Amino acid sequence: MAEPRALEEEAAPRRAAAPSEDDDDDDDDDDDDDEDDSSESDSADDEEEERGAPPAGAYNPADYDYLPVSTEIKELFEYIRRYTPQIIEIEHKLQPFIPDFIPAVGDIDAFLKVPRPDGKPDSLGLLVLDEPSTKQSDPTVLSLWLTENSKQHNIAQQIKVKSIENAEKNPKAIDSWIESISELHRCKAPATVHYTRPMPDIETLMQEWLPEFEELLGKVGLPTAEINCGLAEYIDMICAILDIPVYKSRIQPLHVLFSLYSEFKNSQHFKSLAEGKKARSPPSNLPSQAAEAEVLSFT
Amino acid sequence: MMLSRAKPAVGGAAPPGDRRRKKGKKVPQLEELLALRDFTGAIALLEFKRQVGEQEEDADLWIGYSAFHLGDYKRALEEYEALTKKPACNPDVWVNLACTYFFLGMYTQAEQAALKAPKSRLQNRLLFHLAHKFSDEKKLMSFHQNLQDITEDQLSLASIHYMRSHYQEAIDIYKRILLDNREYLALNVYVALCYYKLDYYDVSQEVLAVYLQQVPDSTIALNLKACNHFRLYNGKAAEAELKSLMDSASSSFEFAKELIKHNLVVFRGGEGALQVLPPLVDVIPEARLNLVIYYLRQDDVQEAYNLIKDLEPTTPQEYILKGVVNAALGQEIGSRDHLKIAQQFFQLVGGSASECDTIPGRQCMASCFFLLRQFGDVLIYLNSVKSYFYNDDTFNFNYAQAKAAMGNSSEAEEVFLLIQSEKIKNDFVYLSWLARCYIINKKPQLAWKLYLKMETSGESFSLLQLIANDCYKMGQFYYSAKAFDVLERLDSNPEYWEGKRGACVGVFQMILAGREAKETLREVLHLLRSTGNPQVEYIIRIMKKWAKENRVPV
Repeated sequence: MAEPRALEEEAAPRRAAAPSEDDDDDDDDDDDDDEDDSSESDSADDEEEERGAPPAGAYNPADYDYLPVSTEIKELFEYIRRYTPQIIEIEHKLQPFIPDFIPAVGDIDAFLKVPRPDGKPDSLGLLVLDEPSTKQSDPTVLSLWLTENSKQHNIAQQIKVKSIENAEKNPKAIDSWIESISELHRCKAPATVHYTRPMPDIETLMQEWLPEFEELLGKVGLPTAEINCGLAEYIDMICAILDIPVYKSRIQPLHVLFSLYSEFKNSQHFKSLAEGKKARSPPSNLPSQAAEAEVLSFT
Repeated sequence: MMLSRAKPAVGGAAPPGDRRRKKGKKVPQLEELLALRDFTGAIALLEFKRQVGEQEEDADLWIGYSAFHLGDYKRALEEYEALTKKPACNPDVWVNLACTYFFLGMYTQAEQAALKAPKSRLQNRLLFHLAHKFSDEKKLMSFHQNLQDITEDQLSLASIHYMRSHYQEAIDIYKRILLDNREYLALNVYVALCYYKLDYYDVSQEVLAVYLQQVPDSTIALNLKACNHFRLYNGKAAEAELKSLMDSASSSFEFAKELIKHNLVVFRGGEGALQVLPPLVDVIPEARLNLVIYYLRQDDVQEAYNLIKDLEPTTPQEYILKGVVNAALGQEIGSRDHLKIAQQFFQLVGGSASECDTIPGRQCMASCFFLLRQFGDVLIYLNSVKSYFYNDDTFNFNYAQAKAAMGNSSEAEEVFLLIQSEKIKNDFVYLSWLARCYIINKKPQLAWKLYLKMETSGESFSLLQLIANDCYKMGQFYYSAKAFDVLERLDSNPEYWEGKRGACVGVFQMILAGREAKETLREVLHLLRSTGNPQVEYIIRIMKKWAKENRVPV
């Protein structure tokens, strides 16, 4: 049998006190009664003896010899002795101590890890655990960001959009998706600009010029960027020709100017007009502001 | 999405992540993402660049690196495998591939790939760990000798110590390195893991707190904290820790998902075990053991045995569980071989230096001696852990049996009566021992009640024999006579008549001695009359004569 051991109990909460045959332990009350058991448990032989011995309080016929009874009855009492009660063996059943469920904590970093391709130290597993942070970018959202911020537009990128499993149980994932997409939209250039000063609307600006003016334009052409003046003056000049008012700042007039340009460029009507013009030569007398747009396009 | 991670994880120079994203002006740089350990983001960035043709140098390698540290080993494998197939492949890629195979559990492939790589410390560490996986002690020693006194090699060695359950050796290495490098915070977590395995859960918590203070959302650290709570308090406390971890993680966070699912089953006391655990067997080592525990709790001993029979035990937990399953199966099918195996495993664990003073270790020793029927020793071990198990039916059943076997019937009776489980209370072993205790404690009427509550069966017949003979032995002749009377009706064995005859005369003697009510005589005569033996008349005559002389109505 194992020797009782000295223990550092204070450090190990789940550890047990040493098994003890003595009764000097202080923790409970019924140990006193165990004394008899343990003193006799030193060897299996003793145990066998004890288990065979009659328990205290067993019937002993001699205890009743004193009874003042007739011979007849005394003879009758002999029947008690005539039967020897059997020793009935009862089985024992070990109810196994089924352990608690065991949580998993994982293994310790063994430094079997891929180093950085550039050979620089990454300190993973030293300064911080080698584990991804719990805040990971959503790859779809990040791709949208990158596309948005990229100078190359019209990237025909195939973006994988993942679906959310058990969406009804996962409002967090949905919320975070909505939040990140609206954030993305917030950072995009706004779709409409509110001008601080009155501006003519694009439709008005797209109206045809007077035929005389058109005719003149055909002869002299618009001033090109080659003209000997500063950018600001050039902007003022072009805006004046196009009927765009210029106030203190030139940002908003320029926005109107480019909106106008974009409108012409995307207009199916003028596109076909312009193409027709290219195909036929010489140029007809239809150089509207569409022609103007083309001039501007090289600036 | 929470974007409030305040502390750059590595290097300290990385800009806070939230500014970039909130303002949305700046496209994240690879270095920033890596510093934040946002490997998902890093992969997305690299892939985007690959697609728009802004190929960075070594983009494939960076994707492999990011996927590896994200824990997406399959993805890393794809990258590295593709790279090794290119003609101008950098030979260093092989060791990366080998590491990836290792984490995918493909050890043979890992070894083959590692051997194609040029010699390096990483290669040696990998081969060292592979030798451990292959249990090749000779190779293990030779790669061990190649380890140098540099941090990574020493940490790799410590990790082997940990896997071999040599926790103190591992702690020694970590503490030595920490002495010179206090900034290596992660090592605190490793030390905490060792203390956890050593059952020093409080100490583990303390050391762990150092790291969590700096990195409050660390998955590994929070999971360990939850496990400590499970051991120190209960499943509920543990689950609360995991829940805060899951709440803080973004939805694209996949790392350690299986571990968390596994531990939730554990913390919820096995809830969902059959759905979650089977696919995790051999992925998470504890999953198989927990499934076995689950089956044992469901009393499906055979299924538990099937799951564990081919497991070669290495940890104390595995030895204990194999012992338990063999003990349960051995008793169920009456196999001595299984019981012998169980007893040996229990002895091995209970006698080991690491487990002899733990509660499971003491339970093992008690179980071992129980199977050897050395109940004095069983009591010594059970007494030493008694205070932890006041209301535990399993403990009490074993404890009471041992007490009864050692002749301490009054305490045995008390403990038997603490048991709540209906299953145990209907167990024949329970009923017979309790009946015996009642009889020895001079409460034969309670033993008789136990018999009355039973359905007629082989077991109820056995209980009658027990009551008849034990009561006889104890001079409780009235209940002995009643029991023999029933036995005699069920089986015409002359022995039962002899027993009944002796018991009836015994009651008569007790009446004469004033230890039994005189009125009982009437019932004794009634019992006697039911037997058609010629002796009956003689006995009845004498008893009646006495009754007449003593004016006892019969």
